[in-house]
Amino acid sequence: MVCVDAGGRIVMVNAQMVQLFGYPREDLEGQPVEMLVPGAVRAVHPQHRTGYMADPVPRPMGAGMQLAGCRRDGSTFPAEISLSAIDTDEGILVTAAVRDVTEQQRRQDDLERAVRNLETFTYSVAHDLRAPLRALGGYSSALMEDCADYLGEVGRGYAERILAASGQMSALIDGLLVLSRMARAEMRLEGVDLGAEVARIAAELQDGAPGRRVHFAIERPVQARADRLLIRTVLQNLVENAWKFTSGQDDALIEFGSAPAGDAAICCYVRDDGAGFDPHYAGKLFQPFQRLHPASDFPGTGIGLAIIKQVVERHGGRAWAEGAVGEGATFYFTLNMEEIA
Amino acid sequence: MTTRTILLVEDNPDDEMLTLRALKKNSIANEITVAHDGAEALELIFSRASSGEPLPGLVLLDLKLPKIDGLEVMRRIRADERTRIIPVVILTGSKLDEDILAGYRGGANAYVRKPVNFAEFAEAVKTLGLFWLILNEPVPKFVPQPD
Repeated sequence: MVCVDAGGRIVMVNAQMVQLFGYPREDLEGQPVEMLVPGAVRAVHPQHRTGYMADPVPRPMGAGMQLAGCRRDGSTFPAEISLSAIDTDEGILVTAAVRDVTEQQRRQDDLERAVRNLETFTYSVAHDLRAPLRALGGYSSALMEDCADYLGEVGRGYAERILAASGQMSALIDGLLVLSRMARAEMRLEGVDLGAEVARIAAELQDGAPGRRVHFAIERPVQARADRLLIRTVLQNLVENAWKFTSGQDDALIEFGSAPAGDAAICCYVRDDGAGFDPHYAGKLFQPFQRLHPASDFPGTGIGLAIIKQVVERHGGRAWAEGAVGEGATFYFTLNMEEIA
Repeated sequence: MTTRTILLVEDNPDDEMLTLRALKKNSIANEITVAHDGAEALELIFSRASSGEPLPGLVLLDLKLPKIDGLEVMRRIRADERTRIIPVVILTGSKLDEDILAGYRGGANAYVRKPVNFAEFAEAVKTLGLFWLILNEPVPKFVPQPD
């Protein structure tokens, strides 16, 4: 803590500052505070000081800027500084709390490096794994088109299976890429009517399969504070899941609504009366690549629920499922982003 | 009008074969030259530029190439007065936006996702106004529309 008068002289420092800057206390007190400011910005500092005096509300110094302190030996360290003012008999005194953030900076750098590595990895997954897949898919199409006569029924069937398998793997890679993007994407929070989003998704599904009789019961509005794109992915996955696992029924019911939220800001559910699942395995559902149904019954990649978990957790919430075989399933999630008035 | 060649720059032999097949399947009759890395592509283009031979009418350019990558190849094509107007269509192996954005910043005219889907290729050709280039036999699929 450094206490400075209206003229920019140091009035008082605490023991921490003595240690941080490496000066004996008596060398600091009475001196211009600029002695603690690195050379490059020392000349403009008095101007900033005057600016603060004009509106001395408590705030961090140099919002968004990289600040530094200058030690006695001339070395500098990254710093976070918060300013406040006190009115005294001798006029306004400004207090600056200086914190050495070298360690935070280092951790931040490590983290950024890890994220960059992950991006490189994602990039090579996208490129290198896809190349052999394109060959598998491309040649099996070519076989079916160009050599149909030699292949015969059985051969065409095999080629079709190769094509389908490469399509499945391509979907898996896409799923993994989405999963990693969901984990990294910057969040932009806003008010979202989740009910309206579900209604939009439901309409799209119904347009795409006019033959199916599925009744949607959607609570509206269900207001939440969330990143629209991310939460849309959650709802899309949940509603498509419900749609998929009710595909064996003549009449199906899919519900969306809110439930008592407990500690969280909001709790929602998507319920269907479809195939359901064995509750014994409920915990495994949200892990990537975990599937409880054979792909021949219900196709999929097993990544959708992992994506949901990822996004929900980034919104401070959690996701869980209830259900029983043949009795439908209910997927709950909570969101817990602070309301901003 | 003279027949222009199409230059395909592709290092993966499977992608090369499947692309050639797709073009042939769709009756593209232009001569297609293949370069297997960025250096070979540049050498081919610039030796033609120097000797006054006709330049390729279209370059289909993969991004990830040995020696000199696709974006660099495009940068050099765009940096030379003699070659800067050659239409370049980027072939991209992924939907990653970064690729596409980087491609456009470098002056790509369009991009087509691999494996070369003929509908996308036709769309790119249409966007670029390259009807004159593509010798689509017997009946052109995309006839130039009067303005």
